[in-house]
Amino acid sequence: MTAESLSDLGLRLLAPARFTAQSLADILDRSGLVITCGPGGVGKTTTAAALGIAAANRGRKVLVITVDPARRLADALGIKDGGKSYEPHRVRGIGENGGSFSAVMLDAEATFDRMIIERTDDPAKSARILSNRVYRSIAGSLAGAQDYMAIERLHQLHSSNRYDLLVVDTPPSRDAIDLLEAPDRLVRFLGHPIYRALTMSQRSFARVTNAGTSAFLWIVRKLAGPALVEDTVEFFRSLAGIEDGMRQRASEVAALFRQTDTALVMVSSPRAEAVSESAFLANAVVERGLCLRAIVVNMIHPLPPELDGLDEVVAGSLADHVDFHRQLRELALSERHEMIALTTIAGDAMTVIEIPLLEVDVHDLDQLTNIAVRLITLGSS
Amino acid sequence: MGLYALGVNEAWMTRARVLVVAGKGGVGSSTVAAALSLAMARRGADVLLISVDGRPGLGPLLGGEPLDDRDQLLKKVGRKGRIRGRTIPPRQAFADYLDMKGIGGVLRRTAAAASLDTIAASTPGLEHLLVLGKIKELVREGAADVIVVDTPPAGHAAAFLRSATALQEIVSSGPVRTQADEVAAMLGDRTQCQATLVTLPEETPVSEVIELAYDIEHHVGITLTPLIVNGCWPERSGLAVSPRIAARDADIKLTASQLRALDVSARFGRSRQRLTATQLERLARELPLPIITLPRLTTARVGPLELAELADALVDERSSMAS
Repeated sequence: MTAESLSDLGLRLLAPARFTAQSLADILDRSGLVITCGPGGVGKTTTAAALGIAAANRGRKVLVITVDPARRLADALGIKDGGKSYEPHRVRGIGENGGSFSAVMLDAEATFDRMIIERTDDPAKSARILSNRVYRSIAGSLAGAQDYMAIERLHQLHSSNRYDLLVVDTPPSRDAIDLLEAPDRLVRFLGHPIYRALTMSQRSFARVTNAGTSAFLWIVRKLAGPALVEDTVEFFRSLAGIEDGMRQRASEVAALFRQTDTALVMVSSPRAEAVSESAFLANAVVERGLCLRAIVVNMIHPLPPELDGLDEVVAGSLADHVDFHRQLRELALSERHEMIALTTIAGDAMTVIEIPLLEVDVHDLDQLTNIAVRLITLGSS
Repeated sequence: MGLYALGVNEAWMTRARVLVVAGKGGVGSSTVAAALSLAMARRGADVLLISVDGRPGLGPLLGGEPLDDRDQLLKKVGRKGRIRGRTIPPRQAFADYLDMKGIGGVLRRTAAAASLDTIAASTPGLEHLLVLGKIKELVREGAADVIVVDTPPAGHAAAFLRSATALQEIVSSGPVRTQADEVAAMLGDRTQCQATLVTLPEETPVSEVIELAYDIEHHVGITLTPLIVNGCWPERSGLAVSPRIAARDADIKLTASQLRALDVSARFGRSRQRLTATQLERLARELPLPIITLPRLTTARVGPLELAELADALVDERSSMAS
């Protein structure tokens, strides 16, 4: 790997290191919040769950918050049904030395609904918001709303003080940055002049007088029809009573992300594409003042020892063995070459933990516990 | 395995004007989109590859510069075939759209301008719809024989394709509604548009692709092409025999270190072959789609050579499995 290709990965920004690497056990013992991030398809959710189990077995009261677990993993954690599992679910049989392990799936829509109900004093008013068309679509599918509600829920769970450690699993790559930026973005949005004008006390669209806001609504009306404008105005206005609280909580979570006992753990794989996405992400999180503490590299193919001779074998079962050995070794070496970039990013500041490609997909607690043990053992340097 | 049957006729690739390629993160759907573009160009097609999420690296992979929002010639193939590439940033699609609807100039320079991004970002599916709308325009202009669309990764492929029908539910009039109607019609028309799903022969990716297939077929009504299973280790029946016995059969005496090396690869190879066979059988059982398998590359970094290898495999009848 040349200096040039390293700077392509944006590594300059990461130097000099701000901390020295801690073992993974130390990170899990000392953090109050661990956030996993990384590209898609690298086993992020599985790793988050295994980190939680590892910490629970070290005596901590752990809650793992996941976004979109694969079905069988969700089953193993007992959080299959989104509706029923709004509250954290305690997983029995995990946790030693006084530790415990719970899991919860983040349900943005339910969180939003509850926030409206709890923070609105008048039931008729909250019913009106909940049936608002703009609200329904925002709560259900708006990309940003998912992140805002993650913040809201994280705040609730963190301030409940029921857990020593929260492990938060984020959606893939660029979205992970979205999630980490969500508190700041929400604060900005709630302070936006258009938003403020919309939530002032005018009774209807016709009386919105702020020029920028009129233009905004004019565009919405031109693009999507007048009915949507009324709904939009009503929706923003209905938020008026609860926005101060949202803003407050978003600021608190923004501060929480930057606390020194908050650790980011990057999960990646040795594919070139995943490595470059990880480099991009590492840069972005460090730039934002967050502490990236460890890199877990999953799905590494085993490197068989070199094979001397046997070049002349061209047929029969042995030829299959020799060919397969050559291909596997080629792939495994190529992966190790790509991983140099990840160890360079880590430098002296982060622990790098290399987990071999597993023979089976992980979907029960024994397998997760097994990975938890490996993480701690391999992350002890 | 050994389920190889009649080759899937490769004409499926160019059957519609738009070929949407989708898969969860990490399964290699962008690479497959590039390989499909190459395979089509080899058949003489004029291909436009669009990376919705803006993966600039697809440009160099096909022999050109990194992709940006301008149309760029990446590669000429044979006498007629060529591949061009570009991205469609949602922000640009939105600006184009506003221009088209006559919302420009003064209004765009008011305080509302700053909010336009907010409108686009905070209306569910609007950004996706605008990108699809732009693709629809490109189809209408006859921009290429086939437009290959590399969809956003992770869980967003379904959201991307469902954006039109989702917006039809909340917007009842105005240009956004018209746009949603037209895009939904394009996606549902098999002569206009089809979708290729990509997965890996592993349990979770297989479960997810089955879910994705039913989801988009049901909600979007899009026609699905053969399914592409990426990263399949080639079948090697010899691995079933232990290296020691294989050597004895070949009258070769292995040294201890040779035996150790082959034992490590054989153990891994057998378990991967079992997993691959199980998952391919599961796909054949649970999804009524023909399957095309692509070989596992022996490098962690896909370059032009590997891409050519994948494009070969896409049209190789040995890659096809009966459904």
